[in-house]
Amino acid sequence: MALNSRFWRTTPFQLTVLHGLVFAVAVMALLGLIYARTAGYMTRQIDAIVLSEAHALAKPGPDGLPDRVQAAVKADERAIAYYALFSADGVWIAGNVRALPAGMIPDGKPRVLKGPAFLPGARAVVLRLPWGEQLFVGHDAKVLSGLREIIVEALLVSGALILVLGLIAAAALSAQPLRRIESLRVASQAALSGAVGVRLPVSPRRDEIDMLANLANAMMDESERLLWEVKSVGDNIAHDLRTPLNRLRALLYRVSQETSLTPADAAMIEQALAETDALLSRFRALLRIGEIERCDRRAGVKPVRLQEVLAHAGELYEPLAEDRGVAFSIALDPDAPMVEADADLLFEAVGNLIDNALKFTPPGGTVRVRLITLAQGPRLEVADDGPGVDPQERDAVLNRFHRGRRTLDTPGSGLGLSIVAAVARLHQFTLTLSDAKPGLVVSLDCWPRRLEA
Amino acid sequence: MPKILAIEDDPTTGREIVTELEQHGFEVEWVADGRDGLIRAVSGDFDAITLDRMLPRLDGLAIVTVMRSTGVDTPVLMVSALSDVDERVRGLRAGGDDYLTKPFASEELAARLEVLLRRRATAPPLTQLTVGDLEIDLLGRVARRAGVDIKLMPTEFKLLEFMARNSGQVLTRTMIFEAIWGYHFDPGTNLIDVHMGRLRRKVDRPGQPTLIHTIRGSGYALNPPEQPWR
Repeated sequence: MALNSRFWRTTPFQLTVLHGLVFAVAVMALLGLIYARTAGYMTRQIDAIVLSEAHALAKPGPDGLPDRVQAAVKADERAIAYYALFSADGVWIAGNVRALPAGMIPDGKPRVLKGPAFLPGARAVVLRLPWGEQLFVGHDAKVLSGLREIIVEALLVSGALILVLGLIAAAALSAQPLRRIESLRVASQAALSGAVGVRLPVSPRRDEIDMLANLANAMMDESERLLWEVKSVGDNIAHDLRTPLNRLRALLYRVSQETSLTPADAAMIEQALAETDALLSRFRALLRIGEIERCDRRAGVKPVRLQEVLAHAGELYEPLAEDRGVAFSIALDPDAPMVEADADLLFEAVGNLIDNALKFTPPGGTVRVRLITLAQGPRLEVADDGPGVDPQERDAVLNRFHRGRRTLDTPGSGLGLSIVAAVARLHQFTLTLSDAKPGLVVSLDCWPRRLEA
Repeated sequence: MPKILAIEDDPTTGREIVTELEQHGFEVEWVADGRDGLIRAVSGDFDAITLDRMLPRLDGLAIVTVMRSTGVDTPVLMVSALSDVDERVRGLRAGGDDYLTKPFASEELAARLEVLLRRRATAPPLTQLTVGDLEIDLLGRVARRAGVDIKLMPTEFKLLEFMARNSGQVLTRTMIFEAIWGYHFDPGTNLIDVHMGRLRRKVDRPGQPTLIHTIRGSGYALNPPEQPWR
């Protein structure tokens, strides 16, 4: 799931894990220090023991020394000590070690006792006695090796605990911010897809996320206000200009009804009327776009059979195609699923697409209307073999008033595709212009566009 | 002379309505206030009413609702700056007979009023329409000109029937588009002209007197030959 994959990347999670690691290192260092200090202390203790025992054995002199060594061996009930007496050339005389262990030098300095027979950490000393014999005294460090085991175990257990607890804490700490980020994401996406009035949620905590959310909300307020201002200015201009234009048209109309006009005057008035009508139709289209953009998204949305809409539109425009000398074909997939849409607006969009295609197709050309079914849903296409639209102009032609450079000499308000784009936006359908080689194919993907997460 | 009540609070639009309708030979009374408008509307003195949707004191929707609930069936043409489809549906559902969006071309208003008046006059259901030598059999869905059957597509038949029902009146392109196709947007280009051209080629054969007239700057009319347009 998307949530899980993002889990590891959250700041609280990473911070907590980092914190856990630092803590684990600190614990290890602490335990290591305790161990090192303890081990040093105990080594010094053992060294003192072996030295004092060796000197105690040697002190009475050579007489009876082998017996004393044997007695000391006997007396060591815990079997943690090593005693041995060797001749000057190293031949064993008495004790529980048969040969001088490797690395031992008869210099009276305690050393680590190495060898498979001894516990780790064991210490020993060899004295060269004044009469030539060598006295070996060693001592196992049972306590020390026990302590080492304890500390290693403590390290392992505490490490595992820190790891588990740290992960749990990290997860718990990041769950809450993740939930908030998720709700911010949902709200921003709604805003991005054009929902008006959506704001990011703000918690009462006033933390840094809230600070950013407040900032983003202020930005959204401002851009929404500007958007409405621009829109209403445009719509108001269109509306205000339309009234005097209508009066002008009424005036021209009245003049045109006069019987006293010369044919030349009548023709001029007729042309003025036609120009006024073109202006009025442009204003109507502009206002219409504003109306569609202001539409309540839910009103009028019902399951629609696209086949019916397209067949109806085809029937309406087919005579126009014939009149223009353009071949008109319509191919509808009967199994294309129904879509949730406003049928009237969809019809208007399809009508504009067909009208546009007919307008830009030269006589003898072809306009093809298709309804096909893709995995995601139905797609309707209107293709012509007119001049087409340059790839770099394709986005621009969807804007108000833009007209392709290749088509400047064709009459029209330049608003047909903008109306279609407005209808598509309202439904969250995707409108795409592509090359029909030759000509233009406009496709409308009739399923709600999902934004990338 | 048909009497029209214009309920309209905007003085400019009001004056325009009065001027235009008087030119078309109507007698017009103009009321600028919702409550006075309702009082005049229920008097039964008028043949048709143009009603602004938004009025001071009493809303246009309320007026038409009250009129209908008190049994006053005077045809009402709702006039409004609110142009979206929901508003239109609301206006018609409340009892309005037609809906026109402001600002409008003034002859559009007159043309629509005449259709409303005509609809009222020919209330009993008809089975046959006759305009000159054109006969339309509404039951058999056949049209005949001078006794010869005209082959019409279903849409063409609807168009001819609509024109015959309102013969002698100007029908604007918008009115035709709304009545035949049922949509309320600007069909653009010369879509209606092309459909009308097709119908005309079938109805007015060469040598026959013209029945379908183009009214310059406004629209179309179906007229018997003995009363050519203007």
